Amino acid sequence: MNPRGLLRVLTVWALLPPGAAIRAAEEPPSAPADSEKAAFFTDRVEPILKNHCAKCHGAEDKIRGGLRLDSREAVLKGGDLGPAVELDAPEESLLLEALRYEGLEMPPSGRLPDDDVQTIVRWIEMGLPWAAGADSAPLADAHDEPESIARSDDWPFDAIVRPPVPAVKESGWVRGPIDAFVLAKLEAEGLAPAPEADRRTLIRRLSYDLTGLPPSPQEVEAFVGDESTDAYERLVDRLLASPHYGEAWGRHWLDLVGYGETNGYERDSAKPFVWRYRDYVIAAFNDDKPYDQFIHEQLAGDEIAPDSLGAQVATGYYRLGLWDDEPADRPQARYDMLDGIVSTTGQVFLGMTIGCARCHDHKRDPIPQTDYYRLLAFFIDMGDQTGLEVHPFGENGVKVLSVREKGRAEPHVLLRGNPYLVGPKVEPGVPEAIDSGETTFTGEPGKRRALAEWLTDRRNPMTARVFANRLWQYHFGRGIVPTPNDFGALGEPATHPELLDWLAAELMDGGWTVKRMHRMILLSSAYRMSSKASAEGLARDPANQWFWRFPMRRLTAEEVRDAILAASGELNLKAGGPSVRPPIPAEVLAGQSVPGQGWDVSPPDEAARRSVYVHVKRSLLVPILATHDAADTDSSCPVRYTTTVPTQALGLLNGSFSNEQAALFARRLEAECSGDLADQIRRAIVLTTNREPRPDELARDVAFARSLRTEAGLSAHDALTQYCLLVLNANEFLYLD
Amino acid sequence: MRQPGEYRPSGGQFCGRTRREFLWETGGGFTATALAAMFARDGFLTRQARAADGVTPFVSPLAAKVPPRPAKAKSVIFLFMYGGPSHVDTFDYKPKLYGLDNKTIEIKTFGRGGKRNEGRVVGPKWAFRPYGESGKMVSDLFPNLGNCVDDMAFVHSMYAESPIHGSAMLMMNSGRLISGNPCLGSWVTYGLGTENQNLPGFVVMLDKTGGPISGPKNWSSGYMPAVYQGTVIRADGVPIHDLALPPGTDRSARRRLLDRLREKNEEHLAERADNSELAARIASYELAFQMQQHAPEAVDFSRETDETKSLYGIDRAETADFGRKCLLARRLVERGVRFVQVYAGGAHNDDNWDAHTDIVANHTKHAGRTDKPIAGLIQDLKRRGLLDETLIVWGGEFGRQPTAEYAEGTGRDHNSYGFTVWLAGGGIKGGTTVGATDELGAAAVEDRCHVRNLHATILNQLGFDPNALTYFYGGLDQKLVGVEGAEPIAKLV
Repeated sequence: MNPRGLLRVLTVWALLPPGAAIRAAEEPPSAPADSEKAAFFTDRVEPILKNHCAKCHGAEDKIRGGLRLDSREAVLKGGDLGPAVELDAPEESLLLEALRYEGLEMPPSGRLPDDDVQTIVRWIEMGLPWAAGADSAPLADAHDEPESIARSDDWPFDAIVRPPVPAVKESGWVRGPIDAFVLAKLEAEGLAPAPEADRRTLIRRLSYDLTGLPPSPQEVEAFVGDESTDAYERLVDRLLASPHYGEAWGRHWLDLVGYGETNGYERDSAKPFVWRYRDYVIAAFNDDKPYDQFIHEQLAGDEIAPDSLGAQVATGYYRLGLWDDEPADRPQARYDMLDGIVSTTGQVFLGMTIGCARCHDHKRDPIPQTDYYRLLAFFIDMGDQTGLEVHPFGENGVKVLSVREKGRAEPHVLLRGNPYLVGPKVEPGVPEAIDSGETTFTGEPGKRRALAEWLTDRRNPMTARVFANRLWQYHFGRGIVPTPNDFGALGEPATHPELLDWLAAELMDGGWTVKRMHRMILLSSAYRMSSKASAEGLARDPANQWFWRFPMRRLTAEEVRDAILAASGELNLKAGGPSVRPPIPAEVLAGQSVPGQGWDVSPPDEAARRSVYVHVKRSLLVPILATHDAADTDSSCPVRYTTTVPTQALGLLNGSFSNEQAALFARRLEAECSGDLADQIRRAIVLTTNREPRPDELARDVAFARSLRTEAGLSAHDALTQYCLLVLNANEFLYLD
Repeated sequence: MRQPGEYRPSGGQFCGRTRREFLWETGGGFTATALAAMFARDGFLTRQARAADGVTPFVSPLAAKVPPRPAKAKSVIFLFMYGGPSHVDTFDYKPKLYGLDNKTIEIKTFGRGGKRNEGRVVGPKWAFRPYGESGKMVSDLFPNLGNCVDDMAFVHSMYAESPIHGSAMLMMNSGRLISGNPCLGSWVTYGLGTENQNLPGFVVMLDKTGGPISGPKNWSSGYMPAVYQGTVIRADGVPIHDLALPPGTDRSARRRLLDRLREKNEEHLAERADNSELAARIASYELAFQMQQHAPEAVDFSRETDETKSLYGIDRAETADFGRKCLLARRLVERGVRFVQVYAGGAHNDDNWDAHTDIVANHTKHAGRTDKPIAGLIQDLKRRGLLDETLIVWGGEFGRQPTAEYAEGTGRDHNSYGFTVWLAGGGIKGGTTVGATDELGAAAVEDRCHVRNLHATILNQLGFDPNALTYFYGGLDQKLVGVEGAEPIAKLV
């Protein structure tokens, strides 16, 4: 039996008095002697049903709540909530509860006059007579199955079997299996890979990719001048060992889990010590913590390693979301919070939009509503922890935003997602599309640990596929599955499923270590390709879906701000600790209900720290980050948008941050290249583009800066500041080849 | 760059999303589309008017679009009475309530103070009198608006889930109680674009005391691209953030900078001509320069007559601030801005309509600040022939209870069981009244209208089937009116 049908039957049986369904079927619709009753129905009841109920519970259009009121049989059968009428106990009929607005409220447009409600009461007491001979337009099944549903043995739900590495013609290009998979597709499509990018491009690409920061001029020159055969490999290793690697890749993870440092809603108050979670994530990447352990600690650190501070901090995963300190409806707010956890967990680890099944079975993926509530059941005992509740840890009482289980709640399906419409009880469980009962779970303590271990069990193919895809995405700008949080039927199909399976197998076989995967990807010929287009490539594959070249990209929001600070020389590379609050213009603060609240500006050196350490206040974003498409914090952000709008130009040209940094940049140039304008300009170009200026370019830039002095009457410093502002706005500064 | 691949034939069209929505969903390719249509129209960049896939023509996400059905309204002015005005003291006449003043009665309420079963009635503190041909009863708080009742349509039977400001604001703005969803203005600009590319399509004006609770969440584009979020502008001084040149920079120096910047960017583009994002970014600098010119013009009232300014109450201290905002709202819709939201009330407590302690002092102040300007806006739009195509919506996030919140005083607690909004213009039937609360004004009982019905009505007037305007996100065809859908308020349209 399909799960939906099962659910319906369970619901009906749970709510019916014993034998009621059978009796309803046996009882004649209306006896001949009941002509008065039939007339009562026709004259009094039917007009009410027609005028107030038929639109949503009639034969036409869509049926709401699975309930039809157009035949006696249908009324007795009822809808999602069970029979609409209890002939044995009329006063307990759901229909009356709804008409009286006692819990249910029908019709939604307003309570019927008391007379009408009384009419329905009498009708039920009479035994629900229907018009003689008029019973029952044929009953359509209101629970139509989705037209097609993916089978669970289809990719991506099937087991990962490491595919063979394909043979290719141009084997000279192939440095490893990744290249073979990429090239095999290219050759099949009649495409050739782009040539290798030059060294300046590569070090700039790698530095931003792995650390989110530009390379220094010395680093560039050292790499460009390094003639040893393993120069590139050593560069990759150096960058992977950099403490800034964790800051860049940790930020990707923070996007996925919807990291915010405040609770949202009215007060948007700060989550205490949440930054420890951010530092945990950064350290996990820097320490090359295996991904399976990383998952275990976040989902069940309290159960796995109760004595480890890091593991407690990791469970801050559950505390990152919105939290309503003044909910209008507490059960609703509780389930909204749990919904955040279920949706994020489903998307981040499994690439499945399980959140879609909160109210009904998934429309296209094999995710019944029970899957949602079975997954929710793992989290239900973490209790209603307040957004401000911290737990002291260890002898020193370090305060940690972690989780604790409190009591035992009984998990149920909530009909239509409504916390007041409690359906059948469920046990904790995982999506049946992946695991249809092979693994059993209980509601006992330790259940989150069981979930975490199941997630990283080889028999579950999703975790490795989804994470391998993310690694590819953050390196190549687009996932092999381009919708990284949705591997389902509504997501975009994989371009290179074999490559993805190969990467996923490699990830698991390599003990889930992440840096090893980076290294493999970064050392490939595919990663080293130029971003320059070929006419043939543009003609055959304009979207570059087969990766015939490396895709260009704009810097991310954090990279834009950090790169500006790096150019001006102001960037403070101090790591970790409580977040900082750079100045925000008064005109932006004016949008708050109490301007400036929750934003005590940090001293200048602190305010110049990396963007990953900037306080993430849900209701107040630092303008330069917000305009360059920083992650939305209210749900998992799998891919950053790249928007191009004039307000970005206004902010970068006129905003206080860029103008202050331009002035500081000018001061730096004046100090490093005393007096000589051409030297200063040459240095500005090197610092912002990692290349030497072309002679004509230098001459024209110098002429521009001079003209600001001679024709616009600016001082030497002001003219240089304007020049600095210009290079900070240049596309070449903001885009990577 | 970073365009996704082809649709899967069986799945791609399932939710009826367009190719372009799909690009946004995957995050890639979005920029490639930004801005370019407007430049193409201006004869700008027409040669590069191809997205990075070489097939899809550039379309700006904000380019004006034709709605699927004939539209009654082209733009919306939403006058948001933040804090929750009391319906029984403003437009919902409850004669029985006067006689019950100070009497404790059985009554079900749900507000900041939770659910209660009895309360001390606070009788309406103003007299009501009939206005216009419709004879609509309006309280003495609004003598000027009273004269406009034949252009206004009242919905007395509004209800919503939350009597708490934050979530109720999000409900009124985005149709959901939790943040992260696009608000009404985002949906409208997503569906219709905007007609003036030199100004933002969705504009928000805040009260001088500050923003509403949750600040920018109330004009966020949520899961839609940031291009659809509201832009906060001011009705005096510099209207848009970062619009003014920084101190010490003049326009000619800036022009020099932009010229050299363009040269450098074009040299950079020459070797990367296929990357439309780079071209769009070059264009965005020119557009920003245009905005610097045009946006201040929109807030420059020097060519408005004294009579007009007086009509909006700009000549009186009490009404000048809101009057300027209403006048700017008219100037913006005249210039093709699609959605303007103006907040009356900000910050906390009695800085907005949240009259917990003294209804008389609070509502006298807020009605006094807004009555004349709003009446002026209706009249001015009407005489300019703009009222027919401009939909005005007035209302708060909820109403207030007929009973007192505290043992003493005349303050009323929040009430989401029943409250009033009114609409005018944009094809709405003037002089009509829809629905009713019970005889005490405690709850909507007749023709009840959820916030989603209001949203559906607004989309309907703009030419949309509210149940068909969708955006694909998170595995679902999202709608402003929610998965269950909602119908427009039939008696209004």
